[in-house]
Amino acid sequence: MTSSIKAPTLEEFRARAALTGLTLTEEDIGHLHKGYVGLIGLMERIPQRWAWAAEPPQVFRADE
Amino acid sequence: MTDLTTLGIAEAGRLMASGALTATKLTEAFLARIATVDRTLSSYVTVTADVALNAARQADMEMSGGLRRGPMHGIPIGLKDIYETAGIKTTGHSHLKIDYVPAIDAETVRRLKAGGAVILGKLGTHEFANGAMTPDQPFPPVRNPWNTEFQPGGSSSGSGAAVAAALCMGAMGSDTGGSIRNPAGYCATAGIKPTYGLVSRCGVFPLSFSLDTAGPMAWTTEDCALMLDVLAGHDPNDQASAKTPRVDYGAAAQRSIKGMRIALAKSWYEGPDGKLSKDMANGMEEAVRVMRDLGAIVEDVTFPDIRDYHICGRVIITTEAHAIHRRDVIERPEKFGYTTRRRFQLGAFLSAEQYISALRFRRKLQQDTREAMRGYDLVMTANQWGPPEIFEEPAQIFHFLGKPSLSMPFNVTGQPAAAVCCGFGADGLPLAFQLAGRAFDEASVIAAASAYERATPWRSHRPTL
Repeated sequence: MTSSIKAPTLEEFRARAALTGLTLTEEDIGHLHKGYVGLIGLMERIPQRWAWAAEPPQVFRADE
Repeated sequence: MTDLTTLGIAEAGRLMASGALTATKLTEAFLARIATVDRTLSSYVTVTADVALNAARQADMEMSGGLRRGPMHGIPIGLKDIYETAGIKTTGHSHLKIDYVPAIDAETVRRLKAGGAVILGKLGTHEFANGAMTPDQPFPPVRNPWNTEFQPGGSSSGSGAAVAAALCMGAMGSDTGGSIRNPAGYCATAGIKPTYGLVSRCGVFPLSFSLDTAGPMAWTTEDCALMLDVLAGHDPNDQASAKTPRVDYGAAAQRSIKGMRIALAKSWYEGPDGKLSKDMANGMEEAVRVMRDLGAIVEDVTFPDIRDYHICGRVIITTEAHAIHRRDVIERPEKFGYTTRRRFQLGAFLSAEQYISALRFRRKLQQDTREAMRGYDLVMTANQWGPPEIFEEPAQIFHFLGKPSLSMPFNVTGQPAAAVCCGFGADGLPLAFQLAGRAFDEASVIAAASAYERATPWRSHRPTL
């Protein structure tokens, strides 16, 4: 995982959702919680440690 | 003359050049077929009959005067409804854009029109090229012409269905995570996701800036190549647009593939996350045999794990799509379909560090894929696990929770990839494989896919409607 994220409980996720600025129904929160937990589980495949200067593919070009 | 609506682009062009066919007659044939057949498919959200007939008459006038604009002159096509069209509604299949009428054409539309193409109308899509077809959207869901109980795949659903049903000769799709190749595979058409940066996305609704590509769908790969001849080229208004030498893609479709080296990514579809359906497995095996019979050298090669590409692409799409649609999901969430809304909301929960890590991972996967491809011209793999979803079953809100996407690897690496029909299952539904090339080597992809299509009978099968 990219950082040590423990899967949040529904209550923890609801608290976090309140900070996102999104208007969410209870049904939305249920779906999003399921999706988020699934996503962070899959994200364990993404390496956590990178050389500090490892640059991602999109780089800013001053000549454009 | 055969039914005009099942002519290929090259063949129709030859007939028009010789005076045996007019663009007006061809366009009228398609408009008549749309009026008859599309009631069951709903592939078009807008039909622009008057605009099409005017363009067709203009093309006829030009051609009768000796002016030939190129392979698309007088050819009737459709556009996924995320391509901006001057004076014609561009809805993204969403209530949010239901009345949006752009002032200018997308660069690709401008190029197609300049090449003399006739625009028949706008085609249904998953909402903003990402959601699913849900009942709370402004247009009915597009149906699969091979069996209307099934979905046509997405997100370029209308493009795939309309091409397969002979409701246009070619269509524009877009591909961020497989959205050209999925409907092409499920509808038995050809489709090419070009190399990232080959075709302009300016004026096409974005989903994920660093992954979005715009590309052609048609009945044959050769027809896609003729569309690509018009579409490819640098556009200073698209930041990702590459400056590359001009290539004759139509000519590439006639190239021999004898001696071509193909890396078979079998581990992607025979891995721990699932196996192909029996029909798809047979289709793949037979496709490999045909490629070998054509003189290609096909060898098993180990690539990075399919799940790595899958999650890398999903994190990037989820984050970038949220950034693009954030304002609307906050201010007007009820305007989105329920699946689209939640997919766009999810990005709010991902951190900057997670997004950057996915981008770094992407570079690693791109390098590792290039390394695995060393000594090979193409990668060959399955296009789909099995048949498309049936309409009666509720679609998953988050599709990344299912089997890994077989199309995502080439979005993550940016390579060109084509979907190629390789037969039909016992249920009558299409089977397909993918061919992918090195960056900007669409020519090899086109050569191999076209050689396969000529060597097999599948291009003579059309759905009965």
